Amino acid sequence: MRLFRLLSWPYLKRHVLRWTLTVAGIVLGVAVYVAMNTVNASVQGAFSDTVQQIAGATQLQVTSGEFGFEESVLERVQAVPQVDVAVPIIEATVDTSLPGEGTMLVLGVDMTGDTSLRDYSMESADDALIDDPLVFLAQPDSLMVSREFAARNRFEVNSKIPLHTAEGDKTFTVRGVMKSTGMNKAFGGSLAIMDIYAAQVVFGRGRRFDRIDIRAKDGVPVEECQKAVQEALGPGFEVGPPSSRTEHFAALMQSYTLATQVSSLFALVVGMFIIYNSFAIAVTHRRAEIGILRALGATQKQVRRIFLLESAVAGLAGSLLGAAIGMAGAQALASSMGNLTQQMVGVAQRTSEIVVNPWLLVAAIAFGIATSVIAAWIPARNASAVDPVQALQKGKYQVLSAGENRRRRMAAAILAVVSVGTLFFASWKPAFYAGYLLMIGAVLLLAPALTLLLARASRPLLRRILPVEGTLAADSLIQTPRRTSATVAALMLSLAMAMGFGGVTYSMRAAIDDWMTTALNPDFFMSPTANLVSRATTFPEEIGPLIESVPGVATVQLVRNARIMYRKVPVMVVSIESEKLRATAPRKPMEGNEEEMYRLAKAGKGAIISDAFQANHNLKLGDVLELPTPSGIIALPVAGIIRDYSDMQGALFIDRSVYVQNWKDTTVNLARVYVDKGENPDDVKQRIQKAIEGRQHLVILSNAEIREYVFGLVERWFSMSRVQIVVAVLVAVLGIINTLTVSITDRRRELGVLQAVGGLRMQVRRTIWLEALSIGAIGVILGIALGLLNIYYTLGMVRRDLGGLDLDYMFPMPMAVALVPVILIAAFIAALGPAEAAVRGSLVEALEYE
Amino acid sequence: MNRIQTVFGILTLLSLSAAALAQDPQAIIREVQARAKSASQRYEGTLTVIEGTNKVTEKRWSFERIGSHGDSKSLLRFSAPAEVKGVALLVVNHPDRSSDQWMWTPAIGRERRIALQSRSQRFFGTDFSFEDLEERDIEQFDHRLLGEEQLEGADCWKIESKPRQGKVSQYTHSHVWVRKDNYVVVQIENFKKTELIRRAKYSNIQRVQNIWTAHNIEMFDAGRKSRTILVFEKLQYNLPMKDENFTIQAMRREP
Repeated sequence: MRLFRLLSWPYLKRHVLRWTLTVAGIVLGVAVYVAMNTVNASVQGAFSDTVQQIAGATQLQVTSGEFGFEESVLERVQAVPQVDVAVPIIEATVDTSLPGEGTMLVLGVDMTGDTSLRDYSMESADDALIDDPLVFLAQPDSLMVSREFAARNRFEVNSKIPLHTAEGDKTFTVRGVMKSTGMNKAFGGSLAIMDIYAAQVVFGRGRRFDRIDIRAKDGVPVEECQKAVQEALGPGFEVGPPSSRTEHFAALMQSYTLATQVSSLFALVVGMFIIYNSFAIAVTHRRAEIGILRALGATQKQVRRIFLLESAVAGLAGSLLGAAIGMAGAQALASSMGNLTQQMVGVAQRTSEIVVNPWLLVAAIAFGIATSVIAAWIPARNASAVDPVQALQKGKYQVLSAGENRRRRMAAAILAVVSVGTLFFASWKPAFYAGYLLMIGAVLLLAPALTLLLARASRPLLRRILPVEGTLAADSLIQTPRRTSATVAALMLSLAMAMGFGGVTYSMRAAIDDWMTTALNPDFFMSPTANLVSRATTFPEEIGPLIESVPGVATVQLVRNARIMYRKVPVMVVSIESEKLRATAPRKPMEGNEEEMYRLAKAGKGAIISDAFQANHNLKLGDVLELPTPSGIIALPVAGIIRDYSDMQGALFIDRSVYVQNWKDTTVNLARVYVDKGENPDDVKQRIQKAIEGRQHLVILSNAEIREYVFGLVERWFSMSRVQIVVAVLVAVLGIINTLTVSITDRRRELGVLQAVGGLRMQVRRTIWLEALSIGAIGVILGIALGLLNIYYTLGMVRRDLGGLDLDYMFPMPMAVALVPVILIAAFIAALGPAEAAVRGSLVEALEYE
Repeated sequence: MNRIQTVFGILTLLSLSAAALAQDPQAIIREVQARAKSASQRYEGTLTVIEGTNKVTEKRWSFERIGSHGDSKSLLRFSAPAEVKGVALLVVNHPDRSSDQWMWTPAIGRERRIALQSRSQRFFGTDFSFEDLEERDIEQFDHRLLGEEQLEGADCWKIESKPRQGKVSQYTHSHVWVRKDNYVVVQIENFKKTELIRRAKYSNIQRVQNIWTAHNIEMFDAGRKSRTILVFEKLQYNLPMKDENFTIQAMRREP
């Protein structure tokens, strides 16, 4: 501790800026880790809370995927002797037109029986007309709202609420304000209750319920009741506790969760490089002090401990600050991330509060400290190995010895060979990921050598640009590869990661563009809501022929899609009019014969699955899918495998006749409308609107609007890659500032001499700027090179663990081109401060230095 | 309301020997039922709910019943206020099991079945429960004479009624006060174990077509401390009615 006080504290006080930058590396890593994980936990927590809060005294729930089931199922459940209370539920999120409110969760319940399960205590008996439930039931525009919602919008009994429904924009009347019970907090307090039969009309459910909530009779174990209800309904229904919905949501979010974990890990690794860089520089910079200490009798262990203690302190400070910034970031991101996941997976939840997980914070701080200590380990070991005699020889330790270089190259070659070897076993997940890590390790080991190589290669170019400044800048890089290579490595790694995600986005965009051209080619898409992933609202199939009868309409295809449980995982089922679809948008199967695929699908003897569905469930052509339906389990062989992006988790397509027959549902989510050739789509659109006016409220979206909508979702989903570019830029700025600060300090005398012999301040500035730009350029070159490899592995990761999407390898040229100026500008900006510091110091002091 | 129904029908004065029945509570209740028996019934009712906070709401309905005790059907249709006009409730009573009940809400155009499990719920914000709307048969209960008491100046038998096994009821037992002079039920207290849940008081007893009938029923909810007063007007018995007017299809028809 005394040594820490004697050696570290004065150094720390003298180099506040450098320490701040060092700590910033950890702050960055921990903040991203905390923010990403907190947002993820908050989104899932919000969903779980809502499920629990609206469950009330519900012990079991009966569901049949998102399609729901006929009303008659309720009586079958109520007839089970072990059941005390069984009530039907319709659950939907609707858009409100209220400023700042967005969506609201509407629960359709049967108020004549639901009070047995849920507490609908009213805020004030005097004000609450809901105390007259007859009025509530008799008027289909009745809503009960939570106190929180009412307070936010200054609503009271008889206030009007505008909602977007299947019948268009409708105004509802507040007929009761519920007391602040647990249920009121569901969906961030944006909760409304309405009569279930009114909800059937408003949300186009026909005579169907979404689920049934059950309470077992007193004394009957829940498991016994569950078994009895399951036996009564058969395997086509799922009977489980409310918490199982949370598990389903978690399964849907699995790929997103993994993506955030990868992103968090990436941030921490980048932070590690910044720490390593800082400590490597600090050791080099303080070698004289270390030499003196060693000469005075300090042991190697003591010197190592000093640096490790410094790194632990830096790690602790950075982690604490990072955790705080991460929580603040999570708070800011939670709501939009909640909306994004809702749009992507179509499951209602509202993230208004962040979940503060103390263990996550403890883990993040521990990771931060550990990362810092690990990153400082090699510099600390080098510090302890300082020879007191050599310590006073300037520059000695910034040069990589030929032996060290050879050892690194040898190790890199071994790792590269093993990494290539793993490609032969890439189907085995551990081999794939091991190969990935080994490849990164090999490139990192080669980083100093490659940096030196590129620095040497850049010398003639720099000299040509500015003979004096260019030569000095290049020489600075060549003479001190250790100082430069860590920054280059950090920049390279972060750019490679950004390139990996960018590559996936690029490939995905190209694949979706191709898919939309072939599969989503109707002129119009008609849906009850503008939010196409909201499958909660449907419309009657009779509307299809009505639209088809409109002059100018060539054909209309009806689609009904929703998630069901398959092998305990929610999967998307899309019912299509297969014959009609084939006529307008034939899909070439990746596996199987097109003719046979459509023939089997049409005959109800086969299902068409997407490549992602195939990958996620390890299926092959001819495998039999056992799908739960309200009519029981149906067995459909895989008739064909197509490339499709209807759902991130993959989709399976069945003929509409199979759906109607087994799900006993004739409603529709979406109508695909084709216009006759030569017709003006706008005129046809107007005619359609006129034809359905008063019959059905449907949003008509043009093909261009759909493309924009889908690409918007893809862009939002991959917005993470932009975050990583920001991180890469930050890494560049932090690393380069750090490197240049030390470089200037090291070359203070050299720069002083330059000025003393007539060098202009601008020449010194240009030297520093060129050095920074060179570091940036080397980082970009190596980053893009590593990115080429990283895209391959990232696509593999997406195929294996992030949704099963099989995307073609594509190099994101626009991104690579964009990165060059971004990083170079960042490098230049990073150099401005150090350059000014270099020219504003005392010339006398500079000449006296060392 | 079964108590309402029961009382509607038990007000016939017959000069049977009270002494002969006094020791047999089953016989007393049978006599109550017999004196109240009619082929059909119609009335217009006014329902006033007085909350514990003194908030008062009022509704009106028309009521028709065909059949009697344990084998009857009734249709209740609200006529005021405007927000609930047309809402109807069809009750089909069975001698051996709980009734079937359906509700019709014209604004939505849907009928809904009132589940058996929901019978303990309040009947649309009144102090009656859906179960209270059932007309139950004597055979569904066991009766025990608890003693004799004076109530509102009239001598009464106090009888305990317990639902028989298989009979679904929210109440574990009820205490029924039957006037000795006319076999009219004047008070019923419904219990869950030892806890009083509801108390119905029957008053303004008038003779209508030879059936002594209470024209006022006051239901007190012991938990909510609120009261509902039902007043009968234009009450008539034994009017010609058709079975087909007591179906779900008929319920859907506006009167």
